[in-house]
Amino acid sequence: MSRAERMTDWVLGGMTALVLFALYAPALVVALFSVFEVKQQKVDFSSFTLAWYGRLIHNADILAALRNSLTVAVAAVALSLVLGLVIAFYANDPRNRGRRFLELLVYLPFLLPPIITGLSLVIFFREVGIDRSLVTVTIGHVAFLLALTYRLLMTRLRVLSPSMVEASYDLGANGWQTFRHVLFPHMRSAVVAAGLLACTLSLDETLITFFLFSNDMTLPIRLWAMMRVGFTPEINALVTLILGVTFLLALLVSRRIELRGGG
Amino acid sequence: MIRPRVHILAHSAAAFAFPLLFVLAPLVAFLTYSFWRVENNQLIADFTLANYLEFFRNEIYPRVFVGTLKLATQVMAIGLLLGYPVAYFIWRRRGRWRYSLLLVSVVPLFMSYIIKLYAMRSILGLNGFLNKALVALGLLDAPSLAFLYNQRAVLITMAVVYLPFAILPVFLSLERIPLGLIQASADLGARPGQSFRHVVLPLSLPGTIVGSLFVFILAMGDFFTPQMVGGTVGFTYGRVIQSQFGMGFNWPLGSALAVILLIVVLAVIGVAGAVGRRSRV
Repeated sequence: MSRAERMTDWVLGGMTALVLFALYAPALVVALFSVFEVKQQKVDFSSFTLAWYGRLIHNADILAALRNSLTVAVAAVALSLVLGLVIAFYANDPRNRGRRFLELLVYLPFLLPPIITGLSLVIFFREVGIDRSLVTVTIGHVAFLLALTYRLLMTRLRVLSPSMVEASYDLGANGWQTFRHVLFPHMRSAVVAAGLLACTLSLDETLITFFLFSNDMTLPIRLWAMMRVGFTPEINALVTLILGVTFLLALLVSRRIELRGGG
Repeated sequence: MIRPRVHILAHSAAAFAFPLLFVLAPLVAFLTYSFWRVENNQLIADFTLANYLEFFRNEIYPRVFVGTLKLATQVMAIGLLLGYPVAYFIWRRRGRWRYSLLLVSVVPLFMSYIIKLYAMRSILGLNGFLNKALVALGLLDAPSLAFLYNQRAVLITMAVVYLPFAILPVFLSLERIPLGLIQASADLGARPGQSFRHVVLPLSLPGTIVGSLFVFILAMGDFFTPQMVGGTVGFTYGRVIQSQFGMGFNWPLGSALAVILLIVVLAVIGVAGAVGRRSRV
């Protein structure tokens, strides 16, 4: 390595460190607030406490929102995985019609600004007479997550050899048996990775959800509502927990993708 | 292998139902609404261009729109100027360092968006960490109000929130460059700077374009960031649209304003796609 190259490395490395610091600063601030007291906007480092974590269990609003968020996430992830598989198998077969068009529709909610996905869904639900509820929120999440699950599952499906499927048919298996015993076992790790990724995105989704919720708030919406009227420190505790869990989830996903190869 | 007709039909139906019903139909409904109007708080199914004319008649809309275009462009520029070098640095690492650094730079994508806004608000405030740091470094004499509840606060916050969207695509397209090409360039006598300019940079353009697009589009439509850190002056176009669906209750006008956003976003995607294709030749 030449001197110029080493210099470049140092400069870029310093920049990377600064950028990463800026990206994590918000999380660090919240974590600090969750264990130290803030007096007149100053952090009092002598006041370490975990009390706010304990109080969390008594905040009914937050717990309800957390429950709503988890319900939506489980439903939306399950649906977007199943639909992602169905659509990937459809689009992977060259004999099927309208594959490009279908792909475009699946990707659109991911490409367009979320505000457009959100407001077109709320207009549509109004026109067909469906009231806003957690169901409409879930549908909004699926519309947005489907692009991701489809993409990840399709990437995996493409690398699987077609001769595997042919061999299975030659041996007398039908379509379902081929899927169940030949294809799915090879896609399982992609399904898990896509599911985890979709789950973290669903738990955090705010811009589409904003147009589709009614009385039952999801966690981000509840937090937003609370922030407008002032904030209690147990929210910092909750958020620190959430950040911790997301970090672990991300770690898990990356491990899976790395170990099994592809992704 | 012969497939029964029923199976083909069932599979098509299962594949198309959701996207047609919950992506295409809502978009059609949304486009239709932009030609309707509101009278005495009642929606009237009409065919009028009044909502679009309102955009040009009321000088606020074009002004906010241009302001938001500028803002999104700046956020995108910051994303690129900081994101590209970071992605490049990570790509140059070998072994374990590379994927650990990549993971660390991608995880913020999954950290709560609302919480980031909340944290940024306290970082940028009068008694926030930014002011403390600047005063401690001697760059400021006294804490400044200049970082919160204005357009600059929106810019800084969006840059922090959307930067990871730029890093990942750039890294992915750098990773696709065969190492042999760079070695060949060096063997042919190119200095590292020349190899970068003529081999690495052009080949990483697709990811760079995708990353920039993501940042730009998200910044264009965001309405929570300006609301949380922008105060009364940090108004953006996304917030204008959203307000028509809240208190304003003028869904047709909001739809028309959003259609204008949609057209610009599609135009930007189209131009970026054309640039990407040309560069590949």
